[in-house]
Amino acid sequence: MAEFTVDCLGEACPVPLMKVQKQMEKMAVGDVLIAQIDHSCAMKNIPEWARNNGHNVEIEEVDDGEWEIVIEKTK
Amino acid sequence: MEKKIETYDVVIIGGGAAGLTSAIYCGRARLKTLVIEKALVGGLATYTNEIENYPGFPEGATGLGLMELFHKQAKKFGVKFKLTDVRGVQLEGDDKVVETFRTDYHCKSVIIASGGKPRLTNAPNEDKFLYDKGISFCATCDAAANTDKTVIVIGSGDAAIEEGMFLTKFASKVIVSVMHEEGKMDCNEIAKEEALANPKMEFIWNTTVAEFRGDDERLRSVALKDTRTGEIIDVPVDTCFMFIGYVPNTEIFKGVVDMTRAGYVITNEKMETNIPGVFSAGDVRDKFLKQVATAVGDGAIAGYAAEKYIAESEIFENQIMDKSMPGIVYIWNAVVQESRDLLPEIETFEEKHKGQIKVNKVDVYKSNGIAQRLGIDTVPAVAAIKDGKVVGTLTEGISAESLEKLLGM
Repeated sequence: MAEFTVDCLGEACPVPLMKVQKQMEKMAVGDVLIAQIDHSCAMKNIPEWARNNGHNVEIEEVDDGEWEIVIEKTK
Repeated sequence: MEKKIETYDVVIIGGGAAGLTSAIYCGRARLKTLVIEKALVGGLATYTNEIENYPGFPEGATGLGLMELFHKQAKKFGVKFKLTDVRGVQLEGDDKVVETFRTDYHCKSVIIASGGKPRLTNAPNEDKFLYDKGISFCATCDAAANTDKTVIVIGSGDAAIEEGMFLTKFASKVIVSVMHEEGKMDCNEIAKEEALANPKMEFIWNTTVAEFRGDDERLRSVALKDTRTGEIIDVPVDTCFMFIGYVPNTEIFKGVVDMTRAGYVITNEKMETNIPGVFSAGDVRDKFLKQVATAVGDGAIAGYAAEKYIAESEIFENQIMDKSMPGIVYIWNAVVQESRDLLPEIETFEEKHKGQIKVNKVDVYKSNGIAQRLGIDTVPAVAAIKDGKVVGTLTEGISAESLEKLLGM
């Protein structure tokens, strides 16, 4: 189970979501992706998209207004 | 993966205005409090660009800015936050469990403040274009990506019209599909006047969505149906913003917590659900007006009620159901004459059996929680306790003698 990171700091929607989608395609089931974001709207569309596709999602607030979205690929 | 176990006094499901207010009250009452939010703390309010009617902010506030202040205040009182979604709950009994995909949170009380999610039209192909593929529910999120483009807004309520006007700052044209006849909208009058005068806004009256059209990549047009003639109007757009109301987020509580047919949680004025220790607040609750201001009121009540419930549970277990000594519990109401009249009788009994029988007096005027736990709904009444169990109750003929008989003396 590999772990990948995408750096979306400083990027506005919909770029973070697109980056996450591209990276998720390349990953295997069980792999974990960490998306680093600081644009609050990505906190809505990334978890929504990931859960809609059945993946596990958890978010860590690493700093004020800076988050890491952890997505475990499930299928 | 092995599940972690954590213990809290209160777990609040949902970090919107109601959940955050509950958290402030619980945190301030020094309860170990956790808020679980599935995305951004602040909830639905963060989807709104402007909040003009929340008291205390005469210049208006952004939804995100206002919710950041709520969040900060809850953090000040030591409230913990976990950003993930809740997978399941076990709400019955004293030990309640809220499950996320990694952790089981055990707690004494749960506050359901899970709010709503956008309602869909259920028109063909809708699911194909949700979120990033052309159908958006968040103008704040996706306005900038639609600079100089054409967008459509579905709906005519406050959210639809206010967000539509916000979109005119970016998009070159904002088309609004309204299901009512010309000039009739669901939003407030101020918003309506401003919208009708906005040169970038165009209205298509008497229409509902018939179909979403596009290719594999994204949405290309929205087919509207004229409700009078049945005529289909194809409207090419870059993004469709949908504001046709919300449905409650209550799937995981179905069959456990009482709800209305539409799925809203039913509570009483104390925000109590049908399950002891489980409260509900905010938009998820069946109520008249869903606003930040009313969510805050709900949240305060739910937080206070949870604190009272936990305090009462402790008194009930440690004092009322004390196993070390047999006891009687006098349930009375300080404002009822009959209740007061019996007080000397109870006190005589207490004095006589000092050191052998424990006497507790519970005034239901303040709270009827303990009486409820004992299954007593009238005053005055007496319950006899032996080995931590109720062995008998009495609602008539209460005297020192009858009390002794009740305890089998």
